[in-house]
Amino acid sequence: MLGYEPGDSLAHRLDPRTKLAVQLAFAAAAFAHTDPRGLAVLTGITALALASARLSPISIVWGYRFLLPLLAAAVLFELVTLGPPWVEFAAAVDPLLASYRTLLIVAVAAGYVRTTSARESRAAVQWAIPGKPGRLLGAGVGLVFRFLPLLRRDLAAIRDAERARLGDERPTRERLRTVGAAGLRRAFARADRLAMALSARCFSWNATLPRIRFRAVDVPAVLLAVGLGASMVV
Amino acid sequence: MLELDGLVHEYDGARAVDGVSLTIPDGEFLVLCGPNGSGKSTLVRHLNGLLEPDAGRVLVDGTDVSDAPVAARTTVGMAFQEPRDQFVAATVGGDVRFGPENLGLDHEEIDRRAANALSAVGLDGRESDRIETLSGGERERLAVAGALAMAPTYLVLDEPFTGLDSPARERLLARLRDLNADGTGLIVVTHDLRDLLDDADRVVCLADGEVVVDATPGDAIEKLTEYGVRVPGR
Repeated sequence: MLGYEPGDSLAHRLDPRTKLAVQLAFAAAAFAHTDPRGLAVLTGITALALASARLSPISIVWGYRFLLPLLAAAVLFELVTLGPPWVEFAAAVDPLLASYRTLLIVAVAAGYVRTTSARESRAAVQWAIPGKPGRLLGAGVGLVFRFLPLLRRDLAAIRDAERARLGDERPTRERLRTVGAAGLRRAFARADRLAMALSARCFSWNATLPRIRFRAVDVPAVLLAVGLGASMVV
Repeated sequence: MLELDGLVHEYDGARAVDGVSLTIPDGEFLVLCGPNGSGKSTLVRHLNGLLEPDAGRVLVDGTDVSDAPVAARTTVGMAFQEPRDQFVAATVGGDVRFGPENLGLDHEEIDRRAANALSAVGLDGRESDRIETLSGGERERLAVAGALAMAPTYLVLDEPFTGLDSPARERLLARLRDLNADGTGLIVVTHDLRDLLDDADRVVCLADGEVVVDATPGDAIEKLTEYGVRVPGR
């Protein structure tokens, strides 16, 4: 999975609210335009989004490779039949388009994640949803963004420790159980320690949020979001 | 001034801290030592109200910590044993700003505090660096900066030298000497007293949750080896 990287790409310079709007509009449009022509246009927009974040399609595929078997499985279930004719290409077209659509949404979301810090996301969410619900959601989003990379690193460390003692010689089911159980234990322990560290630094629901402001560079992106939204109605 | 009055803390009926009473004046450099499991980390977590006492009380400048936990946490900054557990942002600047943001300070004050804290630990100019790219010693110094940004009167460091090589240890110690010279009280939790005795004003040793030594470094040395504390030159 990809995480936030500081940088000076075009996407880094965009207001987080703009990025959030583009992402939401894109996801909605991807569900509205499911034909090949619609997906071709969305592919172009995805390429633009990735270029503005200086992300390569290969890094997306590698970063979310765990998702690929699931997307492929959806296609295979429809493609292969248990009796003659064994393979039905026509039946696999819809799941193929649906899987591709999901991949596009993931790619645009990856551009957002790579270029937006947890603090900016929190500020954008709290701006979009005023009051207590926005504060709760904003802080929640911020915590998830902060906690997920730690969990991922823990799982990788457990897997490495398992391999170092030839754990990969054991059956897959047993390895999954070992990594899963150890990962859960460590996740809870880490959550406790993180909660204590947050308390020590006076975690607040009303924290000062980073400055976010619309600039000229946001205008084309906002127009894109509006255009995507309008395309569902027109 | 920090005052612990008959402090007791139990884990499932087992006493980790057993009736400890201590007074720590402003600006003191106190080394809290003792063997593993002697209650050091539990004790310091009471200094800013991260744990609730089972008996006794903790006063920060005359106010019971449980009555004003936020005030206690701004007065007593804390860097935890494993710095990675306390980082809440992806970048150096994001993490050091986290505490002041929680205090609801304005952006100028947050920027000023972040710059001062990073400068105090020798990490100026590293604001946009990813935390993952820092060395072990730099992470420890960033943890100290995160606590310093709260502008504390006391700084508690829980095993800050664990895993650091000699140059990194010396660099951190030099920063701590500077902070103490500027008036910040230091409470350093350790079971290894190398390089600390020349600077400390006082050494307190815990064993089985009780204070067994409370003396100046010169007077404490003779007694410490009995309690499994590594004393330089012995």
